[in-house]
Amino acid sequence: MDMDIKRLAKLAKLKFNPEEEEKFAAQMANIVAMVEKLPDLDASGPLIDPDNPMEFRKDEVVQKYRRDELIANAPEVQAGCIVVPKTVAEE
Amino acid sequence: MELYRLTATELSRMIRNKEVSSTEVTKSVFSRIKEKENEIEAYVTLNEEGALKKAAEVDEKIARGETLSSLAGIPVGIKDNICTKGLRTTCSSKMLSNFVPPYNATVINKLEEADFVCTGKLNMDEFAMGSSTETSFFKKTKNPFDTTRVPGGSSGGSAAAVASGEAIVALGSDTGGSIRQPASFCGVVGMKPTYGSVSRFGLVAFASSLDQIGPFGRCVEDVAMLTSVICGKDPMDTTSVRREYPRFEDNLSADVKGLRIGIPDVYFGEGVTEEVRQSVMNAAHKYEEMGAVLVPVTLPQPDYALAAYYIIACAEASSNLARFDGVKYGYRSPNYTSLEDLYENTRSEGFGEEVKRRIMLGTYVLSSGYYDAYYKKAKFTQNLMQDMFRKAFTQADVILCPTAPDTAFKFGENSDNQVKMYMNDILTVTVNIVGLPAISIPCGFDSKGMPIGCQLIGGKFSEQLLLNTAFAYEKAVGGFDLSRTLG
Amino acid sequence: MDTKGYEMIVGLEVHCELNTKTKIYCSCRNSFGAEVNSQCCPICMGMPGTLPTLNEKVVDYAVKMGYALNCTINPVSKQDRKNYFYPDLPKAYQISQFDIPLCEHGHLDILVDGKEKRIGITRIHIEEDAGKLIHDESFAGTLVDFNRCGVPLIEIVSEPDLRSSAEAKAYLDTIREIVIYLGISDGKMQEGSIRCDINVSVHKPGEPFGTRVEMKNVNTFSGAVRAIEYEAARQIEVLENGGTISQETRRWDDLKGCNFLLRSKEDAQDYRYFPEPDLSTIVLDENHLAELKASIPELPNKKVVRYMQTLSIPEEEARLLVESVEKAAYFEEVIAAGNIVPKDAANWILGAISRVINETGKSIAEIGIPASHLAKLIEMLEKKEISSSAGNTVFEEMLHSDKMPADIVAEKGLAQVSDQSVLQQIVDQVAAANQKSIDDYRGGKTNALGFLVGQCMKASKGKGNPAIMREMLLKILNQE
Repeated sequence: MDMDIKRLAKLAKLKFNPEEEEKFAAQMANIVAMVEKLPDLDASGPLIDPDNPMEFRKDEVVQKYRRDELIANAPEVQAGCIVVPKTVAEE
Repeated sequence: MELYRLTATELSRMIRNKEVSSTEVTKSVFSRIKEKENEIEAYVTLNEEGALKKAAEVDEKIARGETLSSLAGIPVGIKDNICTKGLRTTCSSKMLSNFVPPYNATVINKLEEADFVCTGKLNMDEFAMGSSTETSFFKKTKNPFDTTRVPGGSSGGSAAAVASGEAIVALGSDTGGSIRQPASFCGVVGMKPTYGSVSRFGLVAFASSLDQIGPFGRCVEDVAMLTSVICGKDPMDTTSVRREYPRFEDNLSADVKGLRIGIPDVYFGEGVTEEVRQSVMNAAHKYEEMGAVLVPVTLPQPDYALAAYYIIACAEASSNLARFDGVKYGYRSPNYTSLEDLYENTRSEGFGEEVKRRIMLGTYVLSSGYYDAYYKKAKFTQNLMQDMFRKAFTQADVILCPTAPDTAFKFGENSDNQVKMYMNDILTVTVNIVGLPAISIPCGFDSKGMPIGCQLIGGKFSEQLLLNTAFAYEKAVGGFDLSRTLG
Repeated sequence: MDTKGYEMIVGLEVHCELNTKTKIYCSCRNSFGAEVNSQCCPICMGMPGTLPTLNEKVVDYAVKMGYALNCTINPVSKQDRKNYFYPDLPKAYQISQFDIPLCEHGHLDILVDGKEKRIGITRIHIEEDAGKLIHDESFAGTLVDFNRCGVPLIEIVSEPDLRSSAEAKAYLDTIREIVIYLGISDGKMQEGSIRCDINVSVHKPGEPFGTRVEMKNVNTFSGAVRAIEYEAARQIEVLENGGTISQETRRWDDLKGCNFLLRSKEDAQDYRYFPEPDLSTIVLDENHLAELKASIPELPNKKVVRYMQTLSIPEEEARLLVESVEKAAYFEEVIAAGNIVPKDAANWILGAISRVINETGKSIAEIGIPASHLAKLIEMLEKKEISSSAGNTVFEEMLHSDKMPADIVAEKGLAQVSDQSVLQQIVDQVAAANQKSIDDYRGGKTNALGFLVGQCMKASKGKGNPAIMREMLLKILNQE
C-alpha cells in the first residue's frame, strides 16, 4: 500500500501529529488490506443508473426561512454574514 | 402493570379507548428513564417538557373526539442524527454538540402529523460510524441485558431505550447494519426498509446511497405501525421512490405455508459462532414446522461485500462530512489564525478517531489514481451483487441468516482492532449495498444470556412479506422475551 | 503585438448564470443584489441532512443552449460532486457534471472580419454557483454571503479553436447574444452573469501545440481580450528567452493589467469527483427534447449573416440590428409589411427608432409604432410621395398617435407635389423675382442654385419635389 497520509490529511483538512500519523498509517494499512478483497471484474464504462430516473422540481419560489434562524448556529456573525479569517481574494 | 412495559400497539388501543391518557403513558416512560438512564445512558438529549406538552395536546384531541392516527400519543425516541426543529441534533459528535436545526427531517414531520410524542434524542456511534455506540463523543450506552456489554451500533441508544422501556418505539438509521445489529444485540425487532421507501431528508448523511431510516420495537406489529408512518415518496428527496405503501400493521398475517426460505450457506460460515448458528437454524426449522420450505441460495461472498461496503460508505462519508468545517454551524476550534488553521484544527478537534479513519479511507479511495481501482470497482461489485440477489430471489421468497456473527461483546473488546470491529457488519452490509429491506428478530439467547438475532431479507419493497414472516415466528414462539430488561 | 511568428491557441470555459426563478437545487429565489443572506435556506447553506432537488428549468435551459450550439444532447446523464474546501462553498463540494454532461460535441459559427469561422464546443454542463466573499478593510475577517450559492450555471467549454483575442471576443459576444436570444440568461457582465476561464498556449505553425496555461478571474469581455494578449505575449517572451512554459493556473488582475501564478501543476487540486448519490439519474424524454429543439429561434450569429447575404445590410448595421432580440424582430416585421428596401428599414430602426429608445428608455413595443405603419412611411419615402423632411414630421406625429402615416400626410398636407405644370409655375415666379441670383450663377457662383431651389421649396410650402424643381431651374439658368 502506498498511502500518503500527509497528502490525504491535507485533502481532508485533518491534522495529525507524528505519533498519531504513525498509528494511523498502521491502522489504515489493515483497513486497506480488507477493502482490497474486491472480486476481479471489468470496471470500465461509466457509472450510471438509467433505471432510476429523477423527478425534477418545479421552478417555483418557496421562501420560508429568516436569516436569523439560518445563521443562529454560526460560530461568528457580523453584519448578517458569517465570518471567517481573511482569505486571499481568489474570485 | 407499568405502562412503559406495554407495546405501542397495546398503548395505542388503550389511549384511543380512553383507558389511559397519553400523559400517563408519557409520565410512565419518563419515570422509567429517571430510573434507568444513569445505568443505560441511552439518551443524548431529553425532551421531557416538550413530550408532556405534546401528550397533553393529544389527550385534548381525544377528549374532543378527534380521530387520531394509531401512533398518536405514543412516546417515540429519535436517533440523534435525525434533525428535529428546535431540538439539539448532535450525531453524538463534538462537532455538532451545539447544533439546533431550524428544520425537521421529513420523517419527523410525518411523525408530527401522526401526533407522536418525542421523548428525546438517542445516543449513537459518532456520525453513525461504528458497531457498538462506543464512538459517541458523549457517553457509552449499555446493553440492558448486561451493562458490561455494548448495545451494538450505530443505533445503540435506540435499541437500548426500546429494550429497557426508556422509549416505547424508536427510530434509528441503518447504513451497514446500524438498526439490525443493535436490535439483535438488545433483543428487540428492528427493520431497515428498502432504499428509497423512507425519505432521507433531514437524516444527517453518513453514506447517502446506503443510509435508510427505520424503526425499532418490542414486537413486529409495533415495527409495522412505525414503518407505515414513515414510508412514502418525498419531493425533497429525489432518491425516494413514488409508489403505494400499505398500512403494514393492517395486513399482518402469520401464514407462511409454502413460503420458500432461502438459506445462504456462506452466511452461516466462518466467523459465525456455533451458538448463533444453532439458534438461527432453529428459527429456520420453526418455519419449516409451520409449513415453509427451506432452500439453499447463493449470495455474494461476505468479504467482498464488506470491502465494497467500506469503500462506498467511506467515499461518500468523506464528502458528506466535509461540510463540518467550523464555518456555518457546529464546533469551531478556538485555535486559528488562518483559514487553513480554522479548517484543520476544527476538524481534527471536532471529529473522533473512527470518523477520521473513515474520512481518510474515503479520501484515499476517491483520490486521483485510486478512484478506478477502489471506488469504481466497488460500484461495479455492487452491480454484481444486485444480480446475485435477483437470482436468489427467483429461488426463494425470503432469505434467512444471522444478523450478527456473535452476540453483544464487552466494552473495549474490539476498540483496538478496526477490522475485527468491521467484521460485525459482515452479515448486514450486503443488504445495504443492494438496497433491499431486512428485519432482525430475536430468536433466542446464548449461554451468557445475551440475545441472538435472526435476519430476514426480502426483495425490493417486500416489507409486508418480511413483517408477515417475522410476525409468524413471533406468534409461534409466544412473543419476544424482554422480561429481564423491562422488569 | 509582435507575435515573432508564433500563433496563439485559445480555448474558453464560459460560466453563464441562468435566469430561472429559483436556484438549481432548492426553491430559494434566484435574484441578484438582495440583502446579504436573505435568499437562503438550509439546503443552499449546506446544513446537515439537507438534500438537493434539481430544478427542471435548469435542465431545459441547458438543453436549449445545447441545441443552439449544435450539440448532441445526452438523454441520460448524471451529476457529480467536485470536492474542495472554501468558505463560499457551504457543502465543501460543488454539484456539477463530470464525465457525462448534458450536451457534447457541438459547434458555434462566429463572424470575424466578415467571415464565418466554426469553433468546436466540447461540452455544456450544469452546476451550482458558489457564494460571495466580502473583503472589506472595515472588518477583521472575510464575510460570507450565501445568496449566490446554488444559483444555476451552465459551463460552456470550447475546443482550442480560437486563434486571436479578436476571435475570442467574437466568440464571447456571440455566446452572450445567444443566451439573451434564448431568454435563458440576462447576460449582464456587470452582475457577473457571464464569467470565463481562459486557456492559452502558443506555438509556431506546423509545430505541435504548446503547454497551456489556464487563467481565472476574467469578468469582462474586454478584460478577456487584454488577458489573452498579455498571456500570449508573456509566453512568447519566455520561449524567446529560451525558457519553457509550465502547465499552471494564473490569476488575471484586470486593474493591474497582468496575471499572477495561482498554482502550479504540482499543487493541482485533487477534486475527487464521484457521482452525486443524493440525485438520481437525469433521464430526458424524447418528446420533451423535440419540443425544446423546436423552440430554438434563428440565432443572432446566423441572422447577421443572413441580413448581410440576402438583405444586403452591411455587417455593422446587421450586428446592431441583431444585438437586441426586439430590434431584429421589429426589423423583420417591417420589411415583411411592405415592399421596401431592407436597408431603408434598417436605417430607420437604427436611426430614428433607436434615438427614441435612447432618449426615453422605452422598448420598441412601448414606443408603439406598429411595424406596418413604419413600413408604409418608408414606402412613401421610397416612392417620393413625401420629402425626407416631411417624413421626419410624419414620424414625430406617429410617436404620439396611432394614425396611419398616409392620414397624417393628408391631414398635414405634406404630400410631395410632382405635377410639372404646378412646379413650372413656381419656378418661373422664383426666377422672375431673383434675377440677381441668376446673374450670379451665370457669372460662376454656382452655389446660387442652392439658394434658388430653397426659394422654390419655400414658395411650394415644402411640398414641391426639389429634384424636379432643380432640373427646371437648371434649364432656365443654362439658356442664354
